[in-house]
Amino acid sequence: MHPFDIKTIFLAKHAQHVVLIHFPIALFIIGVLFDFLSQWRKHYLLAAAAYYNLLAAAIATIPTVVTGLLAWQWELDGQKLKGILLMHLVMGCVSSLLISAVWFIHMKTRRKPEESLPGYRLPIEAVAAVFVAVTGHLGGFLSGVNGPG
Amino acid sequence: MRRSVSIAGLAAILMLGMAGLGIGQKSSIAVAQDKASTVEVKIDNFSFGPASLTVAVGTTVTWTNRDDIPHTVVSTDDPKTFKSKVLDTDEKFSYTFSKAGTYPYFCSIHPKMTGKVIVQ
Repeated sequence: MHPFDIKTIFLAKHAQHVVLIHFPIALFIIGVLFDFLSQWRKHYLLAAAAYYNLLAAAIATIPTVVTGLLAWQWELDGQKLKGILLMHLVMGCVSSLLISAVWFIHMKTRRKPEESLPGYRLPIEAVAAVFVAVTGHLGGFLSGVNGPG
Repeated sequence: MRRSVSIAGLAAILMLGMAGLGIGQKSSIAVAQDKASTVEVKIDNFSFGPASLTVAVGTTVTWTNRDDIPHTVVSTDDPKTFKSKVLDTDEKFSYTFSKAGTYPYFCSIHPKMTGKVIVQ
């Protein structure tokens, strides 16, 4: 199949969701990686890099969630979901909230330069990374990346 | 010698009988399909099987999801001639074609999956 297949783009109203989802995943994982590195190396530049990646990840979740919900309404007429689709929806929402929560913790600390980042953010980031990974796995399974062609 | 000939004869009769039973079964299935006018399309491994189907007017086509993940069956025309709900594993969707024509369809979750029903 051609990567810019117009028919696929217009027939599948959730095609945009499948494209956009890569941005919050990548930005969040890199942000968490920078944050763990900043904790270990005690380097403010790594902490700043973590903050901006987490900010971008939190912003990127908005169009991702919106296109996901619109796909549900348009493609599936908003019908009651079950199974993998329901799991993907719930885990996607939880992941988005956790990404925003992690960014919020960083943002709050940045406003008070005298304070250092709280230690409890690291387990939250780890849990969020697991949620993001599982949601992405379910999404990949649903989109058929393991299918033929 | 006589004994081996009689065993061979018995085996031949048995085989003929079994073949006869098989033919009988096949023809009864064909009759049942004709009477019910129902044709099945299997959804498996991200594809419709058969992808192209020719049926008579009045035939009911039943799609069965044999895949591990959900699929839909949606006609490509507008307004939609038929549109299934999300079919989980082993769930079915049926539609009776009352007019002649070609009905292309696809899975709205996986638009690469396409098929068509030709009604004559």
